[in-house]
Amino acid sequence: MDDVSTKGYDRRAFLKVMGLGASAAALAACGGGAGTTAAATTAAATATVAKPTGNIVVYTALNETTNNAFTDAFKVAYPGTTVDLLPLAAAGDLQTRITAEKASPKADIFIGGSSEFHDPLGKAGLLEMYVSPNASSLKPEFKDAAGFWTGWYTGIFGFIANTDRLTKEVGGKLPATWDDLLDPSWKGKLILPDPVKTGGGYIFIATQIFRFNKDEAKAMAFMKTLHGNIADYIGTAPGAIGAVSQGQYVGCPNWAHDILTEKGKNPGVSLAVPANTGFEVGGISIVKGAKNLPLAKAFVDWVLTPEAGALNVKLSNRGSTIASIPAAPGAPTLASVTLVNYDRQWATDNKTRILTLWQQTVGRT
Amino acid sequence: MMRSLRREPVLLLALLAAIALVLAFIVYPQIQVVLVPGADGYVKFLNGGTWVGPLVHSVQVTLLSTTTAVVLGFVFAYAMVYTPMRWKPFFRIVGILPLLSPPFVVAAVYILLFGPRGIVSYGVFGQSPSVFGLLGVWGVQTIAFFPFAYQLIADVLSRSDARLEQAARNLGAGPWQVFRSMTLPLSGPGLGAAILTCAIYILEDFGNPQLIGGGFNVLPTQAYSLIEGFGDFTGAAAVSTILLLLALSLYVAKTGLDRGRSFVTVGGKASSMPRPPVPLALTRACFAACLALAGLILLVYGTLIVSALTLYFPTNLNFTLQHFEYLGAHATSLQNSFVYSMIAAIGCSIFALFAGFVVQRGTWPGRKLFDFLLIMPAAIPGIFFGIGYLTAFNQPWSDRLAEFFGQPDLRAQLIVIALLFWNIPIAYQAVTVGLRQIDRSIDEAATSLGASSLRGFRDVLVPMLGGSVQVGFVTTFVRAVTTLSVVIFLFTPRSTTATITIFQLVNDFDWGGAAAFTVGDVGMAVIVVVLIQRLGGRFAVTGFRGG
Repeated sequence: MDDVSTKGYDRRAFLKVMGLGASAAALAACGGGAGTTAAATTAAATATVAKPTGNIVVYTALNETTNNAFTDAFKVAYPGTTVDLLPLAAAGDLQTRITAEKASPKADIFIGGSSEFHDPLGKAGLLEMYVSPNASSLKPEFKDAAGFWTGWYTGIFGFIANTDRLTKEVGGKLPATWDDLLDPSWKGKLILPDPVKTGGGYIFIATQIFRFNKDEAKAMAFMKTLHGNIADYIGTAPGAIGAVSQGQYVGCPNWAHDILTEKGKNPGVSLAVPANTGFEVGGISIVKGAKNLPLAKAFVDWVLTPEAGALNVKLSNRGSTIASIPAAPGAPTLASVTLVNYDRQWATDNKTRILTLWQQTVGRT
Repeated sequence: MMRSLRREPVLLLALLAAIALVLAFIVYPQIQVVLVPGADGYVKFLNGGTWVGPLVHSVQVTLLSTTTAVVLGFVFAYAMVYTPMRWKPFFRIVGILPLLSPPFVVAAVYILLFGPRGIVSYGVFGQSPSVFGLLGVWGVQTIAFFPFAYQLIADVLSRSDARLEQAARNLGAGPWQVFRSMTLPLSGPGLGAAILTCAIYILEDFGNPQLIGGGFNVLPTQAYSLIEGFGDFTGAAAVSTILLLLALSLYVAKTGLDRGRSFVTVGGKASSMPRPPVPLALTRACFAACLALAGLILLVYGTLIVSALTLYFPTNLNFTLQHFEYLGAHATSLQNSFVYSMIAAIGCSIFALFAGFVVQRGTWPGRKLFDFLLIMPAAIPGIFFGIGYLTAFNQPWSDRLAEFFGQPDLRAQLIVIALLFWNIPIAYQAVTVGLRQIDRSIDEAATSLGASSLRGFRDVLVPMLGGSVQVGFVTTFVRAVTTLSVVIFLFTPRSTTATITIFQLVNDFDWGGAAAFTVGDVGMAVIVVVLIQRLGGRFAVTGFRGG
């Protein structure tokens, strides 16, 4: 299929270029109508700016409202394009899917999910290298040194509390530091997304290790004491937010943007961001073997515009990697909170060892 | 049948086709998954030792939940078939409902009801139980999987011969003695099949332990979290292989127990004798037990309906219909679910009938292996079934095939096939159990009168297996409509399903929307099941009609 389509493409592009060669280059830009991507791109090389057209398939881990708004806005910015969305709010599933599909890739774009899900795909040779001109102003920590993915949003780890129960049972004080959670008044009232089952739970442990300057013994001592206060470890991060919102438990470390979203529906919860917290960088990448590379690149360029960044901030409560875009109302920013020196590579490389160590520490099988 | 295979080329061809299908759609995709880790990957993973805890937990949960689910299923089946209890049509639906639990939603309701501040546990009884962990998983799995046991056992009981029991009673045996020495042993094949299927499905289930398990990790949740949390496909595939090996040992154990027993209860002569009456007290006890179970199950679905009709249950109880707008906005996914599941259920029933026939009535070499391969999908967690299909069939050649048919892709077809073969075990077990009860002399009568064995199968056995086919059809349909894991790696923008929509809504923190969509999905399935049971009740010859 790859061969077939490439040949088809080339022939079409070839004929188009032949036809265009006779006419003026300006006409070429108008002539390249919908569906003739390759031709339009070829023409663009000679003409001034012609936007790529056609269809792209986007594998997205974003939420539904953001997906829909992005598709609509992109189609306005790039007339004559269509976007096929494959939404799955589970970036690990999308990563696995792209891996399993490598014999005949079906996606052009992989958007959303922490960069940890994009990075291994790049290393496995399953991504197309692309450094967008719009990424030039981003800080180095927000983009892949090898150029396979670009970070375009940030998520900060915070803390959700059920306000009513917090006031009645824990004295009403939200934690200012992670160490505050060791107070005996929290005993049996805390939950944590299971570090073994969720990315968020693991980021929480890694954050503690970085907070103690990679002194694993201190971090584990913290986790052991904290374990005494934790009633349950929950299998999914959204599930843990739901449980606190219902008042099943009083508090839980979790993603700040998701806590804000929950707060929009249930005003009875509070958000805090304890000092020295961790964060994720949400990525976008182009899948190797993309059927419409010019449009895929255009999509990446567009997602990195301030307009798209602001739209995502509004719809998901996450932050943007573009410094000039203000945060959502009530949302923490990377500037407003104190962050640990989060060593992403170290966290990935040591994951199995750390989780085993943690399980031994808290006596879990 | 060896001789008849040589004499009947059609039968031989059909058998070869069935074997080819099983190799192509069960064995080949799974080999893709098993091979992923490679020798190094397995050594590294096994040495890591992270699988030991989950393995122990998996075995614990499987032993406990299988026991309670089968006991509960037996009580329910006995009550439905043997007692003249009231409200049977109602209970028949109740016995199917737990199968209809789309991932996350129903388990979330359990927490809502029975969590530390649950509406029932805390609101009514003032207790703060710890639902997460072994106890929670045990309870939820018992309810979730008792319908398998109930259906398989009820089908067997309904075909047991009333004359035997009547005779025993006439000879002076008491009701208890008849039950112990007659009813229980004769339901052997149903019990065996129920234990095997329940155990393997519980072993494989990921949805409930994921939500109720908390820090209690079983093998399927470990596999899923390796993928979802960490993108560790290699480790996850290794876990999948461990699950396959466990299923194989269960299968071997079950075959060992079955060896050399006969459970024939349907002889050549028709029986119209009524069953001996069940003591009134027993009927009442059965009714009470069924009612309690029904109450629990209806409580769960009632909460779901209330969630769908309120702004944000339980914190904002204002009435709204807005959540049902999702049904319109995502009508395609609901429609896809219906169409795919219907085709898969029909295909599954037909395939299971034929496969059961060639295994139970044939003596060809490789029959035992074929038998195992047909139970194996039960042991494959849905996501690995999906990943196997994706790896095996998302290839340049399949793209060319799609092009040949003028389609952008063949994913919808692939999803149907995946749903069909993933659900083969239960349909196949039901048919097998039915065939073991029917005396060979019945089909031999047909063949000795000159009918080909295929014709004898079609005209004589198939009508007698109506109840078994119904079990397979209903279960396949219901599971296909509510599975997320199988389709999560296969769906495309054009071939999305209802469960994908629900999953998205749950992750968007849209509890009302998820509840409304679940109500729509479950409602659709209930309507289909009721229609099927009506039809089945009319046409089945000896099938399960609830006594």
